[in-house]
Amino acid sequence: MDDHVQALAWASDSALLAAAAINGSIALFDGDGERRLVLSGHAFGTTSIDWSADGRLASGGQDGHVCVWNAAAGAPALRLPAGAAWVEQVAWSPDGTLLAAAAGKRVRVWDRDGRLVREFGDHPSTVSDIAWKPGSHTVTAAAYGGVFLWDADAETNAGRHLDWQGSTLVLAWSPDGRYIATGDQDATVHFWIAKTETDLQMWGYATKVRELSWDAASRYLATGGSETIVIWDCSGRGPEGTKPKMLDGHEDYLSAVAWQKRGNVLASADAAGGVMLWRPDRARIPLAVAIYDSGVSCLAWSPNDRSLAVGCGNGLIEVLASPVSGR
Amino acid sequence: MSVTPTVDPRVPITVLTGFLGSGKTTLLNRILTEQHGKRIAVIENEFGEVGIDQDLVIQADEEIFEMNNGCICCTVRGDLIRILGNLMKRKDRFDAILIETTGMADPGPVVQTFFVDDEMVRNLKLDAIVTLVDARHVVAHLDDSDEVKEQIAFADVILLNKIDLVHSADLDALEARLRGMNATARIYRTENASIDLNRVLGIEGFSLDRALELDPRFLEPEYPFEWSGVYRLEPGSYTFVVPAGPDPAMQVALLPLPGEASGAVEDALMGAVLAFSAAKASGDDVRSGGTLPVGAAANLNLTADENRFAVEITEPGAYALFTEHLPEEFGAALRGPTGTVEPAHVRGYKPDHEHDEEVTSVGLTSEGALNLKRFNAWLREVLMTQGPDIFRMKGVLNFDGEDQRYVFQGVHMLLDGRPDRPWGSDPRESKLIFIGRNLNREALNRGFTSCLA
Repeated sequence: MDDHVQALAWASDSALLAAAAINGSIALFDGDGERRLVLSGHAFGTTSIDWSADGRLASGGQDGHVCVWNAAAGAPALRLPAGAAWVEQVAWSPDGTLLAAAAGKRVRVWDRDGRLVREFGDHPSTVSDIAWKPGSHTVTAAAYGGVFLWDADAETNAGRHLDWQGSTLVLAWSPDGRYIATGDQDATVHFWIAKTETDLQMWGYATKVRELSWDAASRYLATGGSETIVIWDCSGRGPEGTKPKMLDGHEDYLSAVAWQKRGNVLASADAAGGVMLWRPDRARIPLAVAIYDSGVSCLAWSPNDRSLAVGCGNGLIEVLASPVSGR
Repeated sequence: MSVTPTVDPRVPITVLTGFLGSGKTTLLNRILTEQHGKRIAVIENEFGEVGIDQDLVIQADEEIFEMNNGCICCTVRGDLIRILGNLMKRKDRFDAILIETTGMADPGPVVQTFFVDDEMVRNLKLDAIVTLVDARHVVAHLDDSDEVKEQIAFADVILLNKIDLVHSADLDALEARLRGMNATARIYRTENASIDLNRVLGIEGFSLDRALELDPRFLEPEYPFEWSGVYRLEPGSYTFVVPAGPDPAMQVALLPLPGEASGAVEDALMGAVLAFSAAKASGDDVRSGGTLPVGAAANLNLTADENRFAVEITEPGAYALFTEHLPEEFGAALRGPTGTVEPAHVRGYKPDHEHDEEVTSVGLTSEGALNLKRFNAWLREVLMTQGPDIFRMKGVLNFDGEDQRYVFQGVHMLLDGRPDRPWGSDPRESKLIFIGRNLNREALNRGFTSCLA
């Protein structure tokens, strides 16, 4: 790509990788890293991309629109106004029937034909991240003041608010739907227990935390927020009061952490260009290390866990073969 | 622009503050249209009206993020982190970024964003706070608006704008007042926000290197007068006319100067201080109808409705009139045979008496070496108890047993400091300045003095 790689996303069949550059263009690569197609993307910048389970690519950008792409035609099949100048995040519901986007203080939800189903506007600040609760039609938004849960199937917009006086930047549901983990501006990580809506706060990070990744078993949450990978164990009675696993090796602040989709390999990347692969359950030293010329901005495992896509600040994208099956 | 020996990859940020109507948009348009060869991004507030397309203009809602710990010093602007974070990732970087705040904004959260957020600290450096002041309307807000006071207190540069709508005497009074609030800012007078851009961009107001350049003026001794005016007078009879004003008495001194240059008054300052002190010691006062001596100070009794004092000039030349209060407060004027005589230069001084100004600058200085431990303990205490009220601070410190100067600067409770070049043969001296609300000069000075080794 010709500019900073803002986002990477694999299609569910692991055959296509989409990459968004911060200047707006979106490229599609096949599994071997051959570039197949470049989509115009969004004027001024693409911020987020997501594939639906059935292989439709959605994107949002700084033109205030959400697009669903017709990859064959290289043109948007749908172009939907998101309600604010800057789309922060797009996300397909797990079943692929609903598409949500956060723009400004709003979250909008469309059906697969682009009909606006819902608009959730009651957020106290710009929504910085959204995610669907696993196996549901509940969309979850992170903003200043905590986490907001909205049921897109409900008849009214009465959502639930997990109140936290601080700025929540990113959120990640555990795959089993028990926990919502958030990374916050005040250098903390929060766990919300979805059922009881109680929360745990984890202190001690060097910076704001924007790097979160759950393992497939919903047991481990890997986090960034410093040069050290911090892994919380949510088995048993949960992470409260426990000492996390810490993995040292990176020489700059972490910029991404990503567990394999099904396996046990954790990938991590830093702002100086280091990428490491780990088996945290086996060793405190990395399985593999790669160094790039520029800071790494994103990591994405293919759904079949065989490939790891690495996106860099200078536009380079590399697809690494997984060194182990991870199982 | 000054040339720096090492290239700092961080992009400089200039923050523009000022009330609605003070001229922020005019200045922004000027900066964007002038041929300066720089690529500038502008983040304007939600009411912004800049509409230039060759540079990037982004509108932002001011989203103030307070942290759960309730500390105002951790309060940042979430919208800026998001927008700037995105801008800084782009290949085509900007040479400078301007951030316009709304008229009612407290500059604190904007400034703190560049101290607190790791991503901002890494990629961006705060260059300066530029505050525009509507010279005509600001007076009405100086007493009752916390925002105006904060915008002035935080400033590295103050543009006294719209001076074409204000009398020069009123401008002098206003400038003296602003100077009393913020002793370190550079103040420029402008019409239509017209200013050499080198005076608003590339200021390095937060640079530790510049902390060394503390203007001695910041730390000037306190004078028993607030104002001086230099007059060119021919021999003859003059009258100093003072209508009844806010005080029943005022000290003044009229001193001959060796020349008319504005520097001449600097040389006369010590003489003026001594003259004021001698007059005070004498206790004699001069009532309306009496004579204002030349070459000495007098305690003027101002209890009449209009007080007139005779001034006899025998030698032609430059004279400096020093007054305890601002002449504007009384409508005082020097009248000659051909009418009111206007001063060629005027200057304001920091008053040493209790002023009703809530925001002030306190400069502390000492030639003795400081004990590091005691100084740390004292500063911590000051910041813990008064941090929210301290807007800016800068200092160059001489620590006992250290060969290097220590320089620091800060905002509220956030500090940035490091050892700097060795003292060498330069005289060792600690200089420190606080700009804040309800600062107690005596207490600060006592605390500072107690840190001497």
